[in-house]
Amino acid sequence: MATISLNHYLIVGAVLFCTGLFTMMTKRNAIGILIGVELVLNSVNVNLIAFDRYLGPNRMDGQLMALFVIVLAAAEAALAVGICINLYKNVATVDVDRATSLRG
Amino acid sequence: MTHDTALVAILPELILLIGACAVLLVGVMPRMGTRASALAFLTVAGALVATLLVQVPDAAAAPFGLWVTSLTFYVRCIALSVGALIVLVNWHQPAPSERGEYMSLILFSLLGVLLTASANDLIVLFFAIELVSIPTYVLVALSRDDARSSEAAVKYFFLGAMSAAILAYGLSFLYGEAGTTTLYAFSEGAATSNFPHSADLGAVGLIGLLLVFCGLAFKVAAVPFHVYVADVYEGAAAPVAGLLGFIPKLAGFVALVKIFAAFNWELPEAVTWMVLIVAAVTMTAGNVLALLQKNVKRLLAYSSIAHTGYMLMALLVGPVAGLGPLSDGVAALLFYIAIYGVMNLGAFAALSAFRSAGHEVETFESLGGLAKRAPVAAFALAVCVFSLMGFPPTAGFLGKLYLFSSAFSLPESHPFHQPLVLLVILGVVNAAIGAAYYLRIIMAVYMGEEVERAEPVGGAPVRWGLGLCSAAMLIVFIWPTGLADRARSATVVLHQSVLRNAGKMAATESEANTSHPLASRRLPNAVLPVASD
Repeated sequence: MATISLNHYLIVGAVLFCTGLFTMMTKRNAIGILIGVELVLNSVNVNLIAFDRYLGPNRMDGQLMALFVIVLAAAEAALAVGICINLYKNVATVDVDRATSLRG
Repeated sequence: MTHDTALVAILPELILLIGACAVLLVGVMPRMGTRASALAFLTVAGALVATLLVQVPDAAAAPFGLWVTSLTFYVRCIALSVGALIVLVNWHQPAPSERGEYMSLILFSLLGVLLTASANDLIVLFFAIELVSIPTYVLVALSRDDARSSEAAVKYFFLGAMSAAILAYGLSFLYGEAGTTTLYAFSEGAATSNFPHSADLGAVGLIGLLLVFCGLAFKVAAVPFHVYVADVYEGAAAPVAGLLGFIPKLAGFVALVKIFAAFNWELPEAVTWMVLIVAAVTMTAGNVLALLQKNVKRLLAYSSIAHTGYMLMALLVGPVAGLGPLSDGVAALLFYIAIYGVMNLGAFAALSAFRSAGHEVETFESLGGLAKRAPVAAFALAVCVFSLMGFPPTAGFLGKLYLFSSAFSLPESHPFHQPLVLLVILGVVNAAIGAAYYLRIIMAVYMGEEVERAEPVGGAPVRWGLGLCSAAMLIVFIWPTGLADRARSATVVLHQSVLRNAGKMAATESEANTSHPLASRRLPNAVLPVASD
């Protein structure tokens, strides 16, 4: 059985990234889009930790950055909920396709 | 370097941070909401004074992943000067009960710009950029209380979150390539980039660089990441739209300059072509779409996209063409972005200084005949619009001149000499298209019929902001060296590191290039050997 190498982790990260991007582009519900953003941020964390593990011993930079990215994801989720509630108050929907008052 | 001197080096940032917290507290106190704007203005002014007065200690690196250089000094000066104008224009924007939060968000956003300029670590760089963006999402939502601003905030936030995620994904690959998140390593007072040369750049690094460019293209509003711009500018209140044209753009361009400089400006061919094509499409799409608009705010939004295209062209040239004022691409970019921020803010300040029938002035009809009722404001608006057009005697003309001439001065031996000359020609054609729609604003103001009687609102601070913006455009045209010399000295540190790394490669490092990176901070005219032609 082949050992798991750096590339395997990078492929998992890339699959997560593409899934997240696809979710963001196809979901019409604002909360669904937020889940897509979280998926992409998790792909970042998979990459960072994998690089830490395979680039050499005693690496900390990537793990530190992963911790910060988790904090960012939490902050963005809080902000997203706030902005969605604001939208719901004004147009009574969180379906982004039905918010169409701005057209050029 | 001890921590005490490091704290002195980041004094302007500390003042902004403490001021932002104080403004937030003052805002929640009963009946103190109206004081928040004044306190925010004082904070920005204090940070600017600290920037100018405090001599940065001659130390190679500050701790906390920061490196205070001449680039930081320049970005602090322009971000805080334009920031003061932004506070003036936003003075009366939201209801008094929300003004404390609103003003402190502006200050946090400015703090993010300052940290972007001194970041020496990918982690710091990424979070500084997020510190710029996240407050702006809230500002768009807070700026007005209606369906349009909350729709604009939703669009801006989700596209912004997507771009942040793409940027972080790209940075993770850059970390994988370099093996460290630190941009520059310091030894014996000299900084060397931790990133490999383009010849040694692996697939991981290339993917990372492309993704980072995509993530930052959103912040600077480049095609194809421009779709949010028009809706957000239209949905947000005019003073916030003026802010959006400067703060995220400045942070995005400074981050791009820092990343490209870490790669010694030897970008892989794929990245160079991508930036080139994005620049060409951005300036063309922005100008053509602006021609079709009926709403002045949407028009200015598309014109902001077009200006990004011009600036990307100078970014591509970088410091490669030499150190002169007319050939250094980064200096031209830094000069132009300051001018663009002011003239764009001036145009939006003029829109926010009037109301017709209870809503903001945003159509050509509501601007009609403004010159008869408010000749001074109409003249100030005309100066800013002429500057956006790039028409002398305004600073916009000099800005465009520097941008285009830097692209022209790439040496002929450079592989991208030919494409860049074509890009300049496209840029000049685009500037002519731009004149067509900017003239429509002037026509409406001076010759349009008075359909709706727009009434002045906003009070003295907005009018002061508008006046200062247009005065700055005329002053910089008459006395450009004040700004241009500073922009040029900001790039000296980039030139030194580019030359040093080139020297390291050829193993013939000359003495001139090993001088201390901060030694030249006060020497705008430092003579350095120009990159070999």
